[in-house]
Amino acid sequence: MKPFDIIIVGGGGAGLYAAMEAMKTNPSLNIAVLSKVYPNRSHTSAAQGGANAALANTAKDDSVDLHIFDTIKGSDYLADQDAVEVLCSEAPKIIRELDNIGTPWSRLDDKTIAQRPFGGAGRPRCCYCADKTGHTILQTLYEQCLKKGVVFFNEYFALSLSVRGSQSKGLIAMDIKTGKIEAFSARTVIFATGGYAKMYWNRSSNAAGNSGDGQAICYRAGLPLKDMEFVQFHPTGLRKSGLLVTEGARGEGGYLLNSQGERFMSRYAPEKMELGPRDLVSRSIETEILQGRGFDSPAGKYVHLDLTHLGADLIKSRLPQIREMSMYFEGVDPIEEPIPVRPTAHYSMGGIDTDNEGRTVMQGVYAAGECACVSVHGANRLGGNSLLDILVFGRIVGRTAAEEARSFEPGNISEAELKEHSEEIRSYMQPSGHYERYGALREELGQTLGLNVGIYREAPLIRKGIEDIEALRERFKKVRVFDSSDVFNTNLQQVLELRNMLDLSETVAAGALAREESRGSHTRTDFPTRDDGKWHKHTLATLVDGRLELGEKPVTMGRHELQERTY
Amino acid sequence: MTVSSDQHIEGKRDVTFRVFRLNPQVDSKPYFDDYTIPVERGITVLRALNYIKENIDASVSYRVFCQAGICGSCGMRINGISKLACTTQVWDELPKCREAGIIRIEPLRNLPLLKDLIVDMDPLVGKMKHYSNWVVSTMEESEMGRKEFLVSEEEFSRYDKATDCILCASCVSECSILRANKEYVSPAVLLKSHRMNVDSRDGLHDVRLAELVQDHGVWDCTHCYRCQETCVKSIPIMDAIHGIREDAIESRGMKDTAGAKHAEAFMSDIEKKGKLVEATLPFRTNGVAWTVKNLLPMAVKMILKRRTPPPPPLVKASKGMKKFREEFREMSEHVKEDHKTHKK
Repeated sequence: MKPFDIIIVGGGGAGLYAAMEAMKTNPSLNIAVLSKVYPNRSHTSAAQGGANAALANTAKDDSVDLHIFDTIKGSDYLADQDAVEVLCSEAPKIIRELDNIGTPWSRLDDKTIAQRPFGGAGRPRCCYCADKTGHTILQTLYEQCLKKGVVFFNEYFALSLSVRGSQSKGLIAMDIKTGKIEAFSARTVIFATGGYAKMYWNRSSNAAGNSGDGQAICYRAGLPLKDMEFVQFHPTGLRKSGLLVTEGARGEGGYLLNSQGERFMSRYAPEKMELGPRDLVSRSIETEILQGRGFDSPAGKYVHLDLTHLGADLIKSRLPQIREMSMYFEGVDPIEEPIPVRPTAHYSMGGIDTDNEGRTVMQGVYAAGECACVSVHGANRLGGNSLLDILVFGRIVGRTAAEEARSFEPGNISEAELKEHSEEIRSYMQPSGHYERYGALREELGQTLGLNVGIYREAPLIRKGIEDIEALRERFKKVRVFDSSDVFNTNLQQVLELRNMLDLSETVAAGALAREESRGSHTRTDFPTRDDGKWHKHTLATLVDGRLELGEKPVTMGRHELQERTY
Repeated sequence: MTVSSDQHIEGKRDVTFRVFRLNPQVDSKPYFDDYTIPVERGITVLRALNYIKENIDASVSYRVFCQAGICGSCGMRINGISKLACTTQVWDELPKCREAGIIRIEPLRNLPLLKDLIVDMDPLVGKMKHYSNWVVSTMEESEMGRKEFLVSEEEFSRYDKATDCILCASCVSECSILRANKEYVSPAVLLKSHRMNVDSRDGLHDVRLAELVQDHGVWDCTHCYRCQETCVKSIPIMDAIHGIREDAIESRGMKDTAGAKHAEAFMSDIEKKGKLVEATLPFRTNGVAWTVKNLLPMAVKMILKRRTPPPPPLVKASKGMKKFREEFREMSEHVKEDHKTHKK
């Protein structure tokens, strides 16, 4: 294969926008997108709610400055203010651009793009397409990439970066269809592989494959991961599966009720009520449950999300997917009954440390979207800012890599390097005496993370979590792949994904233990307040000689001084 | 291969999944494996497959991703019908089993098989490309991002439902034309094509339409409605197919292609006699030369077997033709008016 100028790993919103923008920036470049699923399957499609932009269509007094302030406050002041400024000032442009290429945004009576209220936002600025926003954006981007003739390597599983000195030579990946390990020599590699919240498994809203592949590859290559301890729990996951009920359901006027029928948010966020920021609402639900005001069921404790007062018409026209999901997965029609919900691991604020243009510390390696940490979300992401993040920074990283690609030389990836990987893979299939089953390890990982590194954290619990993770990593060495086929070995893929989740879970737990304060999504019961003196900084987790080392990085401040965060 | 539950408690029972298997590396032909597992009420077919994969046979291969009915990965045939495994309740399938308690799981049809329940999606992507399933914006690239298009709620509602499509390929698998002709455009691609064609932001309407009326295109559909019946998102796919045809006749005329002429011949027969004059249909659709060249041998066979349709003079008008004709004209007027208001 001819060396590539740019290899983009991941075909979700960030990856596809990067591909489109890179081709626009320099059409002569040799660009390809490599994805473990067909791009239109990517998890971007699951984003229901919308994308924030201060278009001021719905609220005429909205502005980019207000969006910036809401985002910084929402982040509990851990976001880098220069990065937030980029995010919010690019927002109106990118929403219009998506409109210009065919995204079917819902409309207002005056035919402009409709916007609705969302948690933590001072104005209704969330642009949406019913409750299938991510899906329609992903379709639009995929269509436009097909139009532009982007080269796709679909159903390829990325294994590792090939590194020489301080520079990347390209990527090593497995063709899932044939099992063949292949070298993708490339001047630049962009990671856009999505989040890592699936490590919480049954208590996660994420797709089965959201195993943080890009972050794990970068971590093993020695790149620092930033703020990994910050995992957002979405307040309203379905009780049984963890699948998500969009914040749009509360934006449209849904109530949260405890077993005593109280709208309990009045205790925690009297002004914003159900539309408080996610971390606050999640903690409120968890507190209600812990204090015995939840409902009980074999599938776990929960509270009610009540939409019944909204009426059948509104539910059918604005929240059709929510209705479908409640019926499919809980057997509940929200027109008639409240939906049983509890918080679910939803989004990873942490990720590959990048600058505002998506560069990592390694030459030729870039990252964008949920797998990156710029950081625009800090300690807590606002609803409607994640689609925005993948779009804005997907585009920026595509342009940056396109401009810089020719300044790097692609290296050769040796046969020996490829052989190492095939041998490792073969070792999983080799029968040995005692072996471990993938399913059990994955289940235990999700459980220990949920219990010990979940919404409420404290030192002894986190230490227990770290011990469990270490034990699981040890047991993983004996994990066995039972499918011996080269063709579509999905069992092998599961094991490789579990390896990535195990590697990353250690960084989440280590960050959680080190950060002795409560900020945003990270709540330490033993350190219940924010400690700006000691902890107004990012953590960096780096693998040095096979050991995790924690470092730190200052937060970039700007116009907004530190304030207490209340709603 | 059985993991049996000890007792049949309420809401829990043993269910057998008869799963289609083919690993092209070792198997010369496909076969079925039976897996019997305890299943609780409320469990989806996908979760049952996950259970089988994790506890009984890790080599069973299928695609899985979002598990929430939005990514479209897990399309497969369950008891003979193409659908998503993640949104299908095992309990709902039990009454549909041909053999009691045995749920058949097979791969989608009409796409090349790769392994077990996994089919190749590339042909579908190829067709999306062939029929330009994307908006070609009427806005200059240099202008993009500066202003938004103004789109009425009415226009949005014309393609709102079509954009629900998750490309799960259930309609592709169920399509009766694709079974006979793999080159046929496919229901999903027709749906997407029409979604683009009614979007005022798009500037490729005429080019796309010109491709859609060619061979293997929109006129090949036989209105069996299987696509619409099985669509996992309940999208009225046939509305899109009819929409393209009406659009084609309106923009390109009745004499444009064999498909349009065929539709016109239908209309005029129904208007005159209330039924079809089949004997002359091929001439009116494809012309004399084509018919003689392509259908003469079949016509001879039909004559020999006495299966020919009656000659035109013998096709008598249906009973109550006068009233029918009035109603027919009234309906035609309505359609015309609808079109006019639609245009506004």
